[in-house]
Amino acid sequence: MTRSLFVQAIVFGVLTGGVYALMASGLSLYFGVMRIVQIAHPAFLFLGAYLTYSLHNALGWDPLLTLPITVPAFFLIGVAVQRLLLARLRDENRAMMSVLLTFSIAVVVEGTLSAIYTGSYRSINLDYASKSFELFGARVPYDRLIGLAVAGLTLLALFSILKYTRYGRALRATMQHRDAARLVGVDTERVTAVGFGIGLATAAVGGAVLSIITTFFPSGHWEWIAKLMAIIVVGGLGSVGGAALAALVLGVTEAVVQVWLSPVWAGMVFYLFLFLTLIFRPQGFFGGRLAQRF
Amino acid sequence: MPSASERPRWQAVARARRWNYAGIVALVAVLCAAPVMVTASYYRYAGVLLVMYMVLATSWNLVGGFTGYVSLGHVAFFGFGAYCTGILADETQGSVILALAATFGITTVGAALIGVVALRVRGASFVIVTIALVYMGSLLAQGMRSVTGGSSGLDIAPLFTVSGRASRHAAYIVTFAVLLGIVMALWNFLDGTKFGMGLKAVREDEDRARSLGVDTTAFKVAAFALSAAFVSLAGGLYATWTGFIDPIFVFSVQISAQIVLMTLLGGMRSLWGPVLGAAVIVPSSEFFLVNLPRMHLVTMGVLLGAVVLLMPDGIIPSLRAANSRRRPPAASIREDGGSVAAGDPDSAGEPALIANGATP
Repeated sequence: MTRSLFVQAIVFGVLTGGVYALMASGLSLYFGVMRIVQIAHPAFLFLGAYLTYSLHNALGWDPLLTLPITVPAFFLIGVAVQRLLLARLRDENRAMMSVLLTFSIAVVVEGTLSAIYTGSYRSINLDYASKSFELFGARVPYDRLIGLAVAGLTLLALFSILKYTRYGRALRATMQHRDAARLVGVDTERVTAVGFGIGLATAAVGGAVLSIITTFFPSGHWEWIAKLMAIIVVGGLGSVGGAALAALVLGVTEAVVQVWLSPVWAGMVFYLFLFLTLIFRPQGFFGGRLAQRF
Repeated sequence: MPSASERPRWQAVARARRWNYAGIVALVAVLCAAPVMVTASYYRYAGVLLVMYMVLATSWNLVGGFTGYVSLGHVAFFGFGAYCTGILADETQGSVILALAATFGITTVGAALIGVVALRVRGASFVIVTIALVYMGSLLAQGMRSVTGGSSGLDIAPLFTVSGRASRHAAYIVTFAVLLGIVMALWNFLDGTKFGMGLKAVREDEDRARSLGVDTTAFKVAAFALSAAFVSLAGGLYATWTGFIDPIFVFSVQISAQIVLMTLLGGMRSLWGPVLGAAVIVPSSEFFLVNLPRMHLVTMGVLLGAVVLLMPDGIIPSLRAANSRRRPPAASIREDGGSVAAGDPDSAGEPALIANGATP
């Protein structure tokens, strides 16, 4: 592998890893507030991508301008899914049952998408999407750069909410110790619902980014589930920052392996990291000790 | 300390277990005889699928039902079994049989190794790992083109040299029915052994089981390997039945989900649950596939969601609970602790491990 190819791979890896970080952040939130794994998250990413596609085609809007519509809509869907479905699960076997329930949601979303849009590939053609510029001898495509920028801004907003707002404090308290949070007067039920809504709202942003940078088809979300799951386990379940870092590391490794070996091994990177993490550090690299138990 | 009033329950459980063997023999006999009455090729084809899913769901229940570990990755072993058989076998019938036997052995060892790693984590993380297994399998199957034929699939020799599609289906109904009998008998046998008790203790409270001296890791790994081996055998048989391996189909998570749905619907903790669930799901799934192909996925998703939300214990335990409510309480009022356990026939005679509900 030549040096320029290596640099190109690193640049591409960072660009993709940032997008992975955005897509995995929602999963960390769900796990944090409810201790559940939300299998349907990538399905909602694809729903977001298709909505963006439809709005773009019908009204001619730029994909990013559709966000003021899709983000609030997804927030409400998230609150509804949490209140009406997930909150009804019994406590004793919630971890397993939530997986099955969100799996069924994913299947319903996929089925609806393929009934409406058929199974064929879709993409949004933008005039800036195919252009690129040079940086240290590496090609940087504009669409990927925009994706990274959107991902970075969204993550920054998410961190600010978690860190500096009153609601964010309540959310973090709920994540750390539900009962204790309730004792000091946090309405944990509401916080959980809103946390779920925010998680799904990130899927709307992720979907818009997805629609800019790649082609999509209804059953494509399955591939993303395994990737994103690997990221949040490596990062440590429930840690938003850990997931972001793991996303960058895995994104870069994937890109380098893709150039160096083959796309097959690039895909295997995620699972190898997943298994190595489980063998040597089951709680992930940034998660607390409790992550191991779930 | 088994009190005098509990002993008849013990005996009743043991008697029920013996009757189960008679039930298994009867079920296998009925399934084997079914092709005589059903001659249409399509119905026989659906019959093979039905019995195959019964095998898959019962095998899944060897680990899922006993230990409570929900695996969405069993289709990885199904696909592995199909490929392993397809790669090892050549044209002759003898080689196919040898390949099936080898597949069973290889999967037992391989799944035990995977289990050692995968079963280190519980709950949601375990499910994630099992999903990852499916994608690793599918990536490898499509990537190692020289061995597996890549995305264009792999042809495989037939197990039975019978002429005509309908009679071939009949042969496979019988084969899968015999396999079903073996797996069900094994489940029923394990249910009464110390091994089975240990696995159920893992389900109720893993940490406490461990502190009571159950080698939880070894028990879980053994159950996982056994379960995976039978699934891979079914996968190998499936491949010889269709004569062709489609890498997308044999590694699709939806099959895993269907298996879990069947078991959950019938009842995870009972021998007959997975079989009953398959008997409901396979025909309805085929019905929707034929009549409403566009809505097939949606209906399956809604069904799974409804079962998880409304009937997580499944049909059989729900019926049992309804039945035992009508019966007079088994223990006298004075034996307060005993009457609680006696109300639920599933927990009678098992180690009294009650989850303390304290979430960390």
